[in-house]
Amino acid sequence: MPATGTASVKSGSATPRNRWPRTPVGRTLLFAAGLFALTLVSALLGDVSIPASIVLGTIAHHLTGGAFPADPCAGTSVSRTECGVYQTIVWANYIPQVLLGVLVGAALGISGAALQGTFRNPLADPYLLGLSSGAAFGAALLFVFRIGLQEAQLTLPLFAFAGSLLSGGVVLLAARSPRSSVTTLLLTGVAMSSFFSALLILTLLYNPNGNLQVSFWLLGGLEGATWTQVGIVFAGAVIPGAILALYGRSLNLLQLGSDVAQSLGVDARRTRVRIMLLASIATASAVAFAGVIGFVGLVAPHVVRRVAGFDYRVVLTGAAIVGATFVLGARDLALVFFPGIEVPVGVPMAFAGALFFLYLLYRRPAGPGEGGGW
Amino acid sequence: MNAPAPLLDVDRLSVGYGERLAVRDVSLRVGSGEFVALTGPNGAGKTSLLRAVLGLVAPRAGEIRVMGDPLPELDIRARARRMAWLPQEERPQDNVRVLDYVLFGRFAHIPPFYSENAEDYARAREALMTVGLWDRRESGIWEISGGERQRVLLARALAQDAPILLLDEPTAHLDIASQLELIGRLVSLCRQQGRAVVAALHDLNLAARYADRVVVLSRGRLVHDGRPAEVLSGALLREVWEVDAELRRDPRSGLPYLIPVLPRHGLASTPGERRPGPLHVVGGGGAAAELLRALAGEGFRLSAGVLALFDTDSETAQELRVPCALEVPFAAIGAEARAENRRLLEAATAIVVAPFAVGPSNVTNLEDLLPYARTRPTFLVGADSFAARDFCQGRAVALEKELLALGALRVRDSAGLLQRLPAALGAAVPAPKAGP
Repeated sequence: MPATGTASVKSGSATPRNRWPRTPVGRTLLFAAGLFALTLVSALLGDVSIPASIVLGTIAHHLTGGAFPADPCAGTSVSRTECGVYQTIVWANYIPQVLLGVLVGAALGISGAALQGTFRNPLADPYLLGLSSGAAFGAALLFVFRIGLQEAQLTLPLFAFAGSLLSGGVVLLAARSPRSSVTTLLLTGVAMSSFFSALLILTLLYNPNGNLQVSFWLLGGLEGATWTQVGIVFAGAVIPGAILALYGRSLNLLQLGSDVAQSLGVDARRTRVRIMLLASIATASAVAFAGVIGFVGLVAPHVVRRVAGFDYRVVLTGAAIVGATFVLGARDLALVFFPGIEVPVGVPMAFAGALFFLYLLYRRPAGPGEGGGW
Repeated sequence: MNAPAPLLDVDRLSVGYGERLAVRDVSLRVGSGEFVALTGPNGAGKTSLLRAVLGLVAPRAGEIRVMGDPLPELDIRARARRMAWLPQEERPQDNVRVLDYVLFGRFAHIPPFYSENAEDYARAREALMTVGLWDRRESGIWEISGGERQRVLLARALAQDAPILLLDEPTAHLDIASQLELIGRLVSLCRQQGRAVVAALHDLNLAARYADRVVVLSRGRLVHDGRPAEVLSGALLREVWEVDAELRRDPRSGLPYLIPVLPRHGLASTPGERRPGPLHVVGGGGAAAELLRALAGEGFRLSAGVLALFDTDSETAQELRVPCALEVPFAAIGAEARAENRRLLEAATAIVVAPFAVGPSNVTNLEDLLPYARTRPTFLVGADSFAARDFCQGRAVALEKELLALGALRVRDSAGLLQRLPAALGAAVPAPKAGP
């Protein structure tokens, strides 16, 4: 009977921001094109300045099996010996560095996206959850046993994996407790991260062999990259990464909450354990040869979400591409702005990451989905 | 009365959290094509029962069989193909396109790591057509109204293509028209497709009108299970809800519905009573709720009318045990309710008019109080006049003028009212001892 009260309940009238992407594939391809271009540019940069024609010539020479150009040094102004050295540097050092950067960035990016998705929290990433520090500690521990890097190429990622698994396992155990909230999980991760960082620093200080490079382990570095490492990281990061990329639909459903996801057919707990495991493997492979690079796994997924929406089928792949772009970009920035000083990749990454972190904290998209907090 | 092979068979189920048992020893069988309303007061265990059936909480004791198979033997995907759930509350985190949201329901039908195929899209389309939202398929989930969102969730559950639908308060957040529409659709789904629907429903009248069976839980126990006509009774309401109710029959459909009857004594019997009264409050649509609370808080005896059943004012009145004249929602006030209201007005020592919106259906509330306003202090509460709240072509404004001419006082709010009341009541005839 009262004539009031039936004003329509119009909610979510805030301007639509994160629209489900209309052309997710198109946007992913755009990211990929950007990464490809950056890869080429990155190959031109290094601690020794080498003419672009020689760099590109050397790459083409190797890719075509020596067919074209038959002699990358022909027609350049540098001497043949110098050119030979340049060729070696490019092929044995620069290219592995760039490729390692791509793989490491992709592994961290996709791990970050998958972890943010499973925990429904924008702060989850391999670094914050302690996977990176665990891996670094595991890897560094190997050196305490006086094993040189060269003979440890295969053992190193295994030790790293053991370390990251230890850290991830504790977080997962915390997740099993019925009382745990996402905040508890994240804080458990933060605690693990500090714990393993402390252990790592102790190991670095102890350093009986004198072969542990502090800045490399704490802030990451691509300088020592070799083809063998590229091969190992390729296997250790791309395989779990590719499996992670297939979890897009499950992660989309998990955003509705684990109960709803489960009623729709997603085994939330199992998915969480598997993603944690895969992210641990990918992160460990990356950390074993590139040290701890923070913020990639945190920032890359956010960038993808802003540009290409929130469909995890896109976000996962996109975060791999953007992560790779970031690591390469950080390497290039360090080379361009601090020539001559070996600035670890993690430093420019941390600058950009810290600023982005603040941006995330103080600017949130409006919408009825608050609380989960994207 | 059950089909030979029930789709859902709950046998002596107990569910608990910590020390507390939320569901105790409940047995329930639901057959194909059945619409079962699960009802009971807050905390009776409706949601816990549904969550246990879904496998979201492990039972303490008992067994659940879904289409013949024990629940623990079904993996999570298989469960999702047999049972769909409409949760009580779901907040989408992202502005997902409506069509994609409905496609989420197809997850359990798509082999792992495959994509949606033409059939999945066809099912999603069918489901959106059923709830009447196919036109909104391109909208974002944040951009549609609360009622539409509830229908999208239903569409998702339908796209899941499960024989069993478990709905937790599907009509919460919906206005009355959308409630009726949604329940109507569910019933026809049961009838046409032979699905089984178990719906936790707060509203007994909705349950009585549409369900084949009404199951009543009270403190975790199943206390009644039967046809609506058998289950809905004054005795049951007294026993389970601790409310007196009067059972009436809808003259058109012949179906029973309940009108809670409030205790005849109101606040008068509470020990803190010291104020004269009763004061009769006229309101509707939530306009009087705050006033009722403020006056009751000051210890005044109260009455109210005519209020619509289930609106905020009538619920507040019930909560405060204020006697009031009630009418079914969204209907013009009938003669019976008006007579009751006049009786309460007759017994009142003063009249308080809440700033309610006046339309053709409730203008009688103002008309009826005029004769009583001549002899009783009358207060018009609200900073503004009825002009802004007049939805009956100036009739309310005219009545307001008459009231003011009769000496009615305008007060800003409940604080103003409380200030003016003692003086006014002192001047009034001493309160009649015989309450309403």
